[in-house]
Amino acid sequence: MSVIGARAQVSASDKPLRKIDPVSIEVLANALDSIVEDAGEVLIRSSHSPTVKERRDSSTALFDSEGRALCQAAHIPLHFGSLFGIVELITAHYPPSTIREGDIFIGNDAYEGGGTHLNDIVLVEPIFVDGGIVAWTTNVAHHADFFDRGHAHIFQEGLRIPPVKLYKSGVLEEGVQKLILLNTQVPEERISDIRAQVSANRFAIDRFRHLCAKYGTDFMRDASAALLDSAERRMRAGIAEIPDGVYEFEDDFDHPEVSEIFRFGVTATVRGDELDLAFRAPPQVRASLNLVNSALAAASYYAVKAIADPYGPANSGLFRPISITAPSGSMLNAAAPAAVYGRACAAQRVVDLVHGALAQAVPHKVTAAHNGSVTGNTYSGIHPQTGHLYIYGETMGGGGGAGHSRDGLDGVHVHITNSANMPIETLEMEYPMVVERYELTTDSGGPGRHRGGMGIHRRIRVENHDCRVDVRGSRLHAGPWGLEGGLPGAPFSYRFEPPLKDPYKKYTLLHGGQRVSIFTPGGGGHGDPKRRDRALVLRDYREKRISRQAACEIYGMSPEELA
Amino acid sequence: MANWRVGVDSGGTFTDVCVLNEQDGSLVVWKTSSSPENPAKAILSGVADGMGLAREQDPAAALAYFGHGTTVATNALIQKRGARTGMLVTEGFGDVLELARQRRPHLYDLEAEKPVPLATRDLRLEVRERTRHDGRVEAELDEAQVREAARQFRENGVDAVAVCFLYSYRNPEHERRAAEILREECPGIFVTASHEIAPEFREYERFSTATVNAYLGPVMETYIHALEPRLGDVGLGSAPHITQSNGGTLSFDTAGREPVRTLLSGPATGVSGALAVMEASGIGDFITFDMGGTSSDISLIEKGEPSLARETSVHGYPLKVPMLDIHTIGAGGGSIAHVDAGGLLKVGPQSAGAVPGPACYGRGGTEPTVCDANVVLQTLNPVSMLGGRLEVDRAAASQAVAGLAGQLGLGLHETAQGIISVVTANMARAIRFVSVRKGYDPREYTLVAFGGAGPLHAARLMLELEMPRTVVPRYPGLLCAMGLLVADLKRNDSITNHLVLGAGAVGAVHETFQRLRERAEAWFEGEGIAPTQRVLRYLVDARYKGQNYELGIPVEASAGGEVDMERIAADFHAAHKRVYGYSVAEQPVELVTFRSEAVASVPKARIPAFDKADWPVEDAKLGMRDVWFPELSGFAPVPVFDRARLGHGHRIAGPAVIEQMDSTTVVLPAMQATVDANLNLILEVIR
Repeated sequence: MSVIGARAQVSASDKPLRKIDPVSIEVLANALDSIVEDAGEVLIRSSHSPTVKERRDSSTALFDSEGRALCQAAHIPLHFGSLFGIVELITAHYPPSTIREGDIFIGNDAYEGGGTHLNDIVLVEPIFVDGGIVAWTTNVAHHADFFDRGHAHIFQEGLRIPPVKLYKSGVLEEGVQKLILLNTQVPEERISDIRAQVSANRFAIDRFRHLCAKYGTDFMRDASAALLDSAERRMRAGIAEIPDGVYEFEDDFDHPEVSEIFRFGVTATVRGDELDLAFRAPPQVRASLNLVNSALAAASYYAVKAIADPYGPANSGLFRPISITAPSGSMLNAAAPAAVYGRACAAQRVVDLVHGALAQAVPHKVTAAHNGSVTGNTYSGIHPQTGHLYIYGETMGGGGGAGHSRDGLDGVHVHITNSANMPIETLEMEYPMVVERYELTTDSGGPGRHRGGMGIHRRIRVENHDCRVDVRGSRLHAGPWGLEGGLPGAPFSYRFEPPLKDPYKKYTLLHGGQRVSIFTPGGGGHGDPKRRDRALVLRDYREKRISRQAACEIYGMSPEELA
Repeated sequence: MANWRVGVDSGGTFTDVCVLNEQDGSLVVWKTSSSPENPAKAILSGVADGMGLAREQDPAAALAYFGHGTTVATNALIQKRGARTGMLVTEGFGDVLELARQRRPHLYDLEAEKPVPLATRDLRLEVRERTRHDGRVEAELDEAQVREAARQFRENGVDAVAVCFLYSYRNPEHERRAAEILREECPGIFVTASHEIAPEFREYERFSTATVNAYLGPVMETYIHALEPRLGDVGLGSAPHITQSNGGTLSFDTAGREPVRTLLSGPATGVSGALAVMEASGIGDFITFDMGGTSSDISLIEKGEPSLARETSVHGYPLKVPMLDIHTIGAGGGSIAHVDAGGLLKVGPQSAGAVPGPACYGRGGTEPTVCDANVVLQTLNPVSMLGGRLEVDRAAASQAVAGLAGQLGLGLHETAQGIISVVTANMARAIRFVSVRKGYDPREYTLVAFGGAGPLHAARLMLELEMPRTVVPRYPGLLCAMGLLVADLKRNDSITNHLVLGAGAVGAVHETFQRLRERAEAWFEGEGIAPTQRVLRYLVDARYKGQNYELGIPVEASAGGEVDMERIAADFHAAHKRVYGYSVAEQPVELVTFRSEAVASVPKARIPAFDKADWPVEDAKLGMRDVWFPELSGFAPVPVFDRARLGHGHRIAGPAVIEQMDSTTVVLPAMQATVDANLNLILEVIR
């Protein structure tokens, strides 16, 4: 059993902290938030890969000199996992005396490089003021690369990069860059996005230095510490509202990559203003579905924050009242060299576990299960127009879980991810494929007094070339659970046209004219569907959100009422 | 005989009227109560009063121009009182409007709701047709299906339809034909095709714009048809104008067809007013700060030219129509302060609104607002406001702030000052959003403060951002109404055409600009604009090939559409370097959307200039008041001046407070306020 995340941290600074008034802290919090948000926009707007520029699959964050997260731009909660241990990893490899102004670190390894899978490449730069490091700026972007690889262990999944200097004192290490680019399949896109990541950090550094010049570095240090304390107090206040107790929950985890159905579990113990999460999971597997501890922590913090303090700041202070454990070498706390490429679905299940447990304590604050999948579909081939290899990947949203007093959201990204869709008019312009349908799926929302959100159906036709496709997701065998008598949402499914013998085969070869149809899961329902407001059932029926059969058999409408 | 112009800005609470004598440039402004049940009533009485005033001075006065700002469309959208709206969509894509970009409304809040789709799912009908990304037709439009859809729209009592097909920005033929059939089959139904209103790529944003336009169409048409004939009755002899979100005006006809263009016209008109004031002052680089009761609007003006927003959304609905780049935040005089669970002081976005209003209004409000903090500190008059029309309940304000002070463990005045500091930080963040984030340094810009609460907070904001000076216009609370009289008739067109910049694209670039010019010329003709009044400007949205966000690059095109391609490339690289911190000379540059702005300049209201005051500044002094300044460690007696009695050349050293009917200006210690020839107040730090 290993402990993830620390409950308390001691400041290593030499000067005693001064007490800063709450007004000044709020003023500084505003300034820091605007730095990470604006740096995030610089990254997205100057990037080249559709994954970042259209789907916004990237995050930015600032850390204090000791590596504690001060704030994160609210993009993708799971990215917090890529970011929050990174500074410690760097300082473990590079004593501070060897770090110079203008050094830029790059890393992606799930065990050594601060990532949660190899596609998330992290760029980190120290912020120097008066010759000393006062803070760190970091960002992470998903790089749609390393496609058509094996997943028996992480060595098959792509290039592992520990934190290394991509720039030394502001000068590019060309050899390092060449080594990285040679190991990628779409190097032009990689170099353009890395350039955008470097520029986002530079932007943040200028702004942060300006703050230091204005307020002084001592004030910045003291106010930053106070900012973390304030997030901690908010989180503690939120946890304190959850009745003390020990809450257990178990859930299944499945995936097309493997034939087994795994059983995960959690024991959530609430004591006053602290929360302990003890996870259970089978031993790590020879598949890409393992979660490293930083990803488990990021998913857990997200899950608790959504219940206890959704509007509080996202900094390291909120970690302090939460402790997390999971067996070492298990799927939820994998040890090297377990493969991790597809860790996102398992991270979704972590949130489902925590919410399933807390639903027993605070039923009015928890929703039924969200779609529980990060439904991905990635395509790669030689573009018939350009002759170059392309990799196009997109994750699709699905249904949100129904709540105590409202329906789940239809067709959204949930929990640990929140990327945007690829517009059809971008997708078809960039890649040799045609989207034939893109719509909500009738009867996919889990029936209930409050209906679960609807899943998405998308049908894509490959055009004029051969390509390999990888479809992944979870909730294949059973849909996301309902609460209080609400029924599950529709499960995840997909099919090929013409049908293939083994639809679950990895990296399936498709020819021009062949199609793939993907149906993402719906959200779980809340409460007895027979008690749903008749006018809403009628509306859902009229709007074809539910079929006639569902209206009659599940919601108990009479044919006359539907006429 | 003099020609007179009247501007009427009708808001939810007040209708502002502004009357200008074209001959001598003299200006009269006033506020009157709105008549929400029948907005035309207050508007017509405003016009009639304005003309009455003009005729007192000149019996032969004629109403030459009527400029109107209205929130009819904005309110219909906020209150969801638009038309019953249907959509006709490419088969397979009926849910694009609802799927949006799949992102949820809040990252952590499981209860947050998405904006409701303005066309419900049963009224989004699909039709077989498909155009490809290069404009090629893959499946012909099934006209029989369009007619069947028309029948269903009629049967379902639909009042408006948005026709939304994929790639209509590239090849509008199917949309055009479907709209034609619908107009034929459903006379009386308002029809918008997406390429007519927003011919740009990214289907969701284009469909959203078209749907919002359809949703508002019947509302705006009804409004205009009720108002227009009655304007003739009160003596308007020329075509009336409505303000739009790009800072210009529209004819009533265009506003009826394209009401989505008016959604942010209120804040845009404020910017127009500021532009006029600043042009007279000779300052071109400035940041406008319009702070009202519930929100603040901020925009950056470079060299006297406002920029258009790349993308905007109003109440959660993305819109691809030209709007001034105005950033709105939920911080105003009525914003409520509270202590969060982490023990920090927060201000807004909740607002006390007009009812009950801040505690100091004495109308039952008990929560501490920014306005109450100012009353406690006595920067605001603790006895009465609005020229004596509003009695101030100082005890209620103190009580509200004291509650907060108890929670924070701070003194009453420290807490009130804390509220000011936090709201200043919120606004500073918004100003950085429009400046630093886009590569502009606020230290090189003048702050222009208006709106009822802008001048009250401007001095601190200017210090926080190290801006060199603040200009407070003569009538800070009535700048929107003034903006109505200075706005030009304006039309923006755009054509999306992806072209890589280089010798091979010259012909296509010229041809695209030529098409834009033809459209603009046709519009000038249609509006009856004399050739000497026509101004035509071009812009192209460019990016490095591979990026998906563009930077707007101004382009000079000859009458034949010819442009200097190398100049465009050089300007783009420079702009990229400024905004993102780097440029890549060897990377190909892609041109995406070509834009034109056609302007019919109206004779401008001159901001009158005054001779030096021949009376001492002491004549404007109302007396002394104790005001709490942290710089002075507490209360200190501070002179209070009457703005109306200040003249050109007067200088006031801070600390001081300057009061006028529609606003209050605070001059901090170590600052001075001087009055310029146009009777603007200029705040600067004394060096």
